[in-house]
Amino acid sequence: MTNPIFWVGVLTLAMIYSSLAMALNVESGWGGMWDLGIAGLLAAGSYCYVILTSDADLDMRFAPELSMWVAWPLAALFTGLVAFAIGAPALRLRREYFLITTLAFAEIIRQLVVIQADLTRGTLGVPNINRPFDSFVTGRDYNYVLLGIAVAAAAVMYLVTRQVGVSPFGRTLRAARDNEAVALALGKRVNRMRIKTFILAGVLIGATAPVYLFYIRAVSPQLFAPGITFTVWTALVIGGIGSIRGGLAGAVVLIVFTEAVGLIEVDPAHINILVAIEPFLVGLLLVLVLRFRPDGLFSERSAFGAGNRPSRDSAGDSRPAGATQGSGG
Amino acid sequence: MQNVIFGIVTGSILAVATLGFALVRQTENFLNIAHAQMMALGAFIGVVLVDTYGMNIFLAGAITVVGLGALGVVLSAVFFQPVRHQGGTVLLFTSIGLALMMYAAILALFGTQARFYPDVSGSLYRFAGINIATNELVIIGLAFGSIAALQLFLNGTGLGRAVRAVASNDDLARVRGVPVRTVSNTIWFISSAFGAMAGVMLGVLGAVNTEIGWHNILIVLAAAVLGGLRSITGVILAGLLLGIMMDVSALFIPTSYRPVVAFGVLVAVLILRPEGILSIQRRKDAVVA
Repeated sequence: MTNPIFWVGVLTLAMIYSSLAMALNVESGWGGMWDLGIAGLLAAGSYCYVILTSDADLDMRFAPELSMWVAWPLAALFTGLVAFAIGAPALRLRREYFLITTLAFAEIIRQLVVIQADLTRGTLGVPNINRPFDSFVTGRDYNYVLLGIAVAAAAVMYLVTRQVGVSPFGRTLRAARDNEAVALALGKRVNRMRIKTFILAGVLIGATAPVYLFYIRAVSPQLFAPGITFTVWTALVIGGIGSIRGGLAGAVVLIVFTEAVGLIEVDPAHINILVAIEPFLVGLLLVLVLRFRPDGLFSERSAFGAGNRPSRDSAGDSRPAGATQGSGG
Repeated sequence: MQNVIFGIVTGSILAVATLGFALVRQTENFLNIAHAQMMALGAFIGVVLVDTYGMNIFLAGAITVVGLGALGVVLSAVFFQPVRHQGGTVLLFTSIGLALMMYAAILALFGTQARFYPDVSGSLYRFAGINIATNELVIIGLAFGSIAALQLFLNGTGLGRAVRAVASNDDLARVRGVPVRTVSNTIWFISSAFGAMAGVMLGVLGAVNTEIGWHNILIVLAAAVLGGLRSITGVILAGLLLGIMMDVSALFIPTSYRPVVAFGVLVAVLILRPEGILSIQRRKDAVVA
């Protein structure tokens, strides 16, 4: 009924969102830092990559025309720096204050992109992003190359975040999330660990940003509205906050589901309804999962072995919002 | 000076919207992201009643406010009550889900075209070189009138005292026999009605489009945090301050960057004075010492 290229595109997008959700899981699932600023970090990585690689004839003030293989790691590092700049002040705050601050920083980054038009082309955006290997493979076949890149990126992200999750660092992170006083008493430097985790998530998101750009092909500030943050969060919540596979599974379910519904043929007179279907389904899915399966498809307990933690009833679910940001006074 | 007046008008609307938001935050203990979609819904229903059905603006506003207040009670019963025992995080994400669904409903019902209220600005008054239109005066009057009414309700009636009891200590109020369910319904009615009223006011001053919900939730969050969520006076001052700063800054930088000003102020306040602009006591729950 539909051509395979469509589904290749859907899977590519699902892999990109998976990568973002897994990166988010490190800081929010295990670190307990409820970050609503993913869009801002993604924007920082994307624009760093675009500016470093863009063609000089686009009239951007700074266009070194670097090779994409140089620009890619630089974008990741730059995003890590941005994460440090946001995290250093924001991590002094807790609960919703942290959440609001990250949201505000993301919005400031997006507006800065608009304001600094001589550097970023502002609302005009940058068309025709350079993509790897596109001189060898052209036309529709390139979609398969892109899928390969996205799968590879998600696989690397899975391996990296799993390594973090099972390492002593990851265990201490989760311990500090569940009981900060005990972690401090054991001599763990909780604040330093949190800022490290925040920077790591920034680097991971920055490393994913170019893949997102290869898929989108053109960049504009509108891409980085808070909506993308909510989509990544929804994917993680559906998959299961705190589980290693959660982000991966949640994003695949969410993206395939919403894109498939977009295929429904609708009378052009009812185009409003077609536009409304995607946010409605994302919202409904989020509400239903939280209501009937609040741990998501994969729970954190299943990820680390059931015996490792006290039962969720006593330790996990009763956590108030952001109490995870620590209880030390 | 003219921009200060604009700022006061923006700020009064913001204060009304933020009070509704802060009321739910204090009593139900979560950030209701769907609150701003209630504003958008209010703006749209108002514009449809006035523009399509030719209704008087005050009648349309009253119908919108009461209707959406009732809708708020229903939505809270359907979406929030069943997951209440799971705590603030689940409630917060449920409200994001609800916000997406309300946004979808707005898109489906009203389309993506911007709508405008017919010109209701009325006559223009001038004093000391400042222009102010009738509709702006009415907005300021209604905003402070309803805030004063809320203040009277909270301090002067039994139900109002019950609301304050739940806000300060939920469990104790329950043990002491406060009708928690009635209180909850009252809070949702007031909160949604205030959101709807702010939405209609915003619509009267500018264009009504589908994005005003997402746009305003950030500013409402900023005002709520600035004011310190506990104090009504703080919220009013924060709303006015943000409104004036956003509109006065328009003299120096293009108006589309107004949100940056709001967030810049928010971040600065959070980092320099996390306890909010009014409270003397350090905001203990906000900061890692």
